[in-house]
Amino acid sequence: MRRLLDFLIGKRHWLLFLFLEVVSFMFIYHNNAYQQSVLLSTANAVTANIVSLSGSVTSYLNLREKNRALIERNGQLEMDLLRLQRQVESMTADTVSFRGFISNPMREFPYEVITAKVINNSVTYLSNYITIDRGSSDGVLPDMGVVSEAGVVGIVSTVSKHYSVVIPLLNPKFRLSCKVLGSSYFGSMSWDGRSTRYAKLEELPRHVEFKEGDTIVTSGFSAIFPEGIMVGNVSSFERQRDDNFYSLTVRLTTDFHRLSSVMVIKNYRQNEQIQIEEEARSND
Amino acid sequence: MINIVRGLTYFVVFVLIQVLFLNNIHFLRLTTPFLYIYFIIKLPVGYSSMRVTFLSFLLGLVMDTLSNTSGMHAAACTLIGFVRPYIIELFMREDLPENLYPSYKSFGYGNFIRFTLVLVVLHHLALFLIESLTLFDPLFLALRIPGGIVLTMLFICMVESFNRESRRNED
Repeated sequence: MRRLLDFLIGKRHWLLFLFLEVVSFMFIYHNNAYQQSVLLSTANAVTANIVSLSGSVTSYLNLREKNRALIERNGQLEMDLLRLQRQVESMTADTVSFRGFISNPMREFPYEVITAKVINNSVTYLSNYITIDRGSSDGVLPDMGVVSEAGVVGIVSTVSKHYSVVIPLLNPKFRLSCKVLGSSYFGSMSWDGRSTRYAKLEELPRHVEFKEGDTIVTSGFSAIFPEGIMVGNVSSFERQRDDNFYSLTVRLTTDFHRLSSVMVIKNYRQNEQIQIEEEARSND
Repeated sequence: MINIVRGLTYFVVFVLIQVLFLNNIHFLRLTTPFLYIYFIIKLPVGYSSMRVTFLSFLLGLVMDTLSNTSGMHAAACTLIGFVRPYIIELFMREDLPENLYPSYKSFGYGNFIRFTLVLVVLHHLALFLIESLTLFDPLFLALRIPGGIVLTMLFICMVESFNRESRRNED
């Protein structure tokens, strides 16, 4: 017994080493579960303040670029507005031919947008995360979608009072249901860990017609993103092994290297949709 | 006391440099220099294995918290903190004074670089292999590990040459 104790005391640095490694791996595996702990992430107010130091400096660096993008976007939206206005005008002028179209005032658009600033952003790891300066006190909740003015960014994962951590497209945990604009067949988008400009869209049925350069948008099936939000353009494609599906390489429209402001999309009906979907699954 | 203040300064300065500047570098969209392990390299030689291991774990944990990497850095740092005393023994046969810390002068250029290289290689191997638990991509991994090692070594050697503390030690 005495010798055993002596041995253990003599090798106590081995024990400490093993113990700390076990703790580290517990963190690794614990965090692979969907929800990250607030304490050990940048959603924590203390750490968020530290990392936001660099965010607050870099946010001034690309203002010119930002401004140009906003003006462009503004112009585009104005064009859309004019187009829609004309459509509405022609419909109201010619009600006889549009009996079939009755706009339903009860069916309002169930989405609301919360703007946020990116205070920390990683692109160098395999599992990347973004920290934004809006939290539960601003109405942000886990599982909300996040978009930039260029396209889809990611999904909110951890929320503290004033900050939240977003899982962006550049993270293997993130999967997004997407479709080719104009068709209604959808596939699953994920990141392969290589270039930050490209992602893979897989399981797209082979009979979908598209060509290089076509626009990829969200399908809207997930209750997180509304339908039709820009994701990217088709850059190349190939058939998957079993020949029934296409695998597309998509050039993302969001430049994650210079992300500085984003919008969180709040869907009033998200809970309702998830609830009824789960109910249907449990009834099976 | 001086050792504690010195250690704390190294810790804070290099964690901040890493988090605020170096984490934003993504050289050739491939690698990031991990200069922060310079703290582990510069701990005094006389520290016990337990102490070095524990301090390394703390460093890794702080890095994980600040870059949302959940345990990856902690595991890699604990490993190199644990093997550090053995590697010092391997390269420096003779007895070293307690308060000595590794530098070009105290270890000699060759030995310091070799000692650093072993730690950096082990750290990067551990870090990238743990990272590929989420997504395994052998070709990309084969590019990232050597790239990261070269970049980190470059940064550490550069900082070491400009480190005034190490130069003052020469006189």
